[in-house]
Amino acid sequence: MNVWPLRFTDTNDGELLFTDYAGGYFRSTQEFLDRYATGELTTSDQNFLSDRGHAFEKVSDLSFIGFASRWSGRLNANKDINYIILVPTLRCNLSCDYCQVSRVNENAKGFDWDDKTLSAVLRLLEGFGTKEIKVEFQGGEPLLRLNMLREVRSFCRSHFETAQFVVCTNLQTVSKYAWDFLSDEDTHISTSLDGTFDVHQQQRTKDNTTTGTFRTNILKAIETKGVGNVSALPTIDPLSAPEPKILIQTFADLGLHSIFLRPINYQGFARKRYQFDQVNQFWSGYYRRFIDELIEYNATADEPFEEYYLTHILRRIIQGGHNNHVDLRNPNWLGQDYLVVDFNGVLYPTDEARMITRIGQLDLSIGNVHSGLDLSKLDVLNSDASNFFDPDCMNCAYQPYCGVDHIDDLSRYGRVDIPRHLTDHCQKHMSLFDLAFELLYSGDPKVHNSLAAWLNIPGYSPHLTPVHL
Amino acid sequence: MIPLRISVDPLPIDIPIVARLMMSADRDAQSSLERDAVFIEQSSGVAEFDLSGMSLRLRVEDAASLDGDVVMILPGQRSLHRLIRRGSKHNTLLVTEQCDQLCVMCSQPPKKHHVDLFDQFVEAVELAPDKATIGLSGGEPMLHKQRLFDFLERSLSARPDLKFHILTNGQHFENEDADFLNRLPRGSVLWGIPMYAAKAVVHDEIVVKEGAFQKLCASLALLAKVGATIELRTVVMGSNAQYLPALAQFIATHLPFINFWAIMQMESIGYGRMNWDKEFYDTSISFNTLSEAIDLSAALGTEIALYNFPLCTLPDRYRQFSVNSISDWKQKYLLECTECTLKEQCGGFFEWYQESKGFEGIKAQ
Repeated sequence: MNVWPLRFTDTNDGELLFTDYAGGYFRSTQEFLDRYATGELTTSDQNFLSDRGHAFEKVSDLSFIGFASRWSGRLNANKDINYIILVPTLRCNLSCDYCQVSRVNENAKGFDWDDKTLSAVLRLLEGFGTKEIKVEFQGGEPLLRLNMLREVRSFCRSHFETAQFVVCTNLQTVSKYAWDFLSDEDTHISTSLDGTFDVHQQQRTKDNTTTGTFRTNILKAIETKGVGNVSALPTIDPLSAPEPKILIQTFADLGLHSIFLRPINYQGFARKRYQFDQVNQFWSGYYRRFIDELIEYNATADEPFEEYYLTHILRRIIQGGHNNHVDLRNPNWLGQDYLVVDFNGVLYPTDEARMITRIGQLDLSIGNVHSGLDLSKLDVLNSDASNFFDPDCMNCAYQPYCGVDHIDDLSRYGRVDIPRHLTDHCQKHMSLFDLAFELLYSGDPKVHNSLAAWLNIPGYSPHLTPVHL
Repeated sequence: MIPLRISVDPLPIDIPIVARLMMSADRDAQSSLERDAVFIEQSSGVAEFDLSGMSLRLRVEDAASLDGDVVMILPGQRSLHRLIRRGSKHNTLLVTEQCDQLCVMCSQPPKKHHVDLFDQFVEAVELAPDKATIGLSGGEPMLHKQRLFDFLERSLSARPDLKFHILTNGQHFENEDADFLNRLPRGSVLWGIPMYAAKAVVHDEIVVKEGAFQKLCASLALLAKVGATIELRTVVMGSNAQYLPALAQFIATHLPFINFWAIMQMESIGYGRMNWDKEFYDTSISFNTLSEAIDLSAALGTEIALYNFPLCTLPDRYRQFSVNSISDWKQKYLLECTECTLKEQCGGFFEWYQESKGFEGIKAQ
């Protein structure tokens, strides 16, 4: 029998978690580790490893093929473009404390697409060989350029078999025409709500009247579009975060069932105002308290509530695949299946790359709408797109579930080759994977209840937590 | 029940004839094959079609219900076979009645004799509606592997828009088939293959063939390597109900490449009827092993489809997996169903379902 290489890590209660390259996992003991390391596996060890797909008899037998299939199922295959983020303007009618996208005042000149840029964007879209497209309008405040949004939307509807649109708006000034535009079925709304309306006012809207307008508009959006077509993202200041319970209740009262809990980002103007080194530990403590509160909430709630990213992590652990979140993919190909077009027609591989470039840190642009992609730069960015050969990742038990985010590394450290465990991306994800496995192996029925809801399965399955003694 | 055979006046033919019944002589993509029999007139109880100058007289009241049907007429027979019905999603060609397994729940018990109709089937699928999916069943179609492969090659080169759903026991794939299987256009064939338990002795006993499980595993590995599309099929029975959770684990671990897992209720016909009392597992009152298997599968990302489970026999949370699976021509509803609000979504019952020996938990919703 051939055992696929196993990697291991300590668990919170004194056992060891073992994982293989295809993401199979189980808990066992130091004694098993000794037997594994010294080549003295017992018959019971061998049977367990074989049943659970951690071993094979000969190349191309069913166990081998099953393993290969699970391994390859986790790869983020190189796909044709299907997602594009468009920034028709950098102008915005709000001035939030930590603005992530580097906005300019509503009346500023020279921060909008002109007609030439619009035609070039449409030509770019026309050149995509794909049948499906998802277009995300970002800003600034994209509703300030409703005419551009209309042009792009009607072009995509006629050019692609299916087209979906997301308008990322602060829902602050929504004209009758904008509501009309937003009311179509293929058009979804993504807005910001910083946890509670009080915090939202403090960080974004500043006065009661403006907050009141926003509250009216988000309620109207949810009421008219249906809750499935509206999402609200909070940006949380780790040093003065709202109580998890109040945050959950605020979202639940609006009818929302999912929250993507994010700390204030390290980029944009935010970087100038906050000290970030000290907040990471605050954040991870806060995040755990939030998840505990979520599990309590779900124990009695009619409609379960999820934290988007933890759900994503759990699905990546248990099922593999799930490559729809661009910060966590392996390999993480840049400039392939999604692109960002800035207000000046410049192309970026991600929205973060746009911000980093905007603040003058590094030029991560990869061409522009007129001349097309800068392929030689893309090749450099993609030359090390996976975690397979990273000297730290290759020994990490969480490697199959994780990915790389070179843009984040570049933004923080200006390079991609610093020891992995020193990076924010690694530290943040190690702690999330620890938490995810703690929850998976928890014996608490309340945790099971939440897990079933987050994984969208009819009931929790005790078989998800293999243990070999 | 929708009739699959229709009485005809015998035709003066000495070879089988495949034709398409058309109410009008409208031209479409398939007309160029010149195998259309065009409607002439309907008199009381008889519909007359013009089949290349011959009069084809069918004993039906409503010729229009046959419009577009592809039919086969065998020499000397007093009825024609409706091979492909235009409006139906359940067209299945019976390739052979021979089989090398004797599964305890078999709805179509094997016979010794084989009649090769592959040439007629090629003619028939050439006349099929655009983008149709055609089932191939038996018996065991792979007992006539070379003829079957030849049929697929000819059919798919003539009609690349078609898809085939082939039910096979997975006992006859060999490494040398890899070349042919690799040549098939991706996704053009869905292989429906049964596995009853992840335990060799249990599976072998159910299919009444020693070594079947081992061979099945080797075949599945081969099919995975050639990128085949696979529907794994498991009928729930007394003999295997307790092994379903372990099977769910086995599938996620060793068969993650299958496209979906169809979990099926028994059909009370053939051996299934003979063994009903011993094997029928009433999931309307005892759903635990099934829910355990589904919970695990759903968590691990195995696609699940429940076939032949009337909706009222499923707990609420599991109805999302139910598929309207019973073929239109053998589907029925019970008296209780008249009042049921879910009837439209429900697959109902097999024509031969016996209420007295069936589910205890049938109830209008």
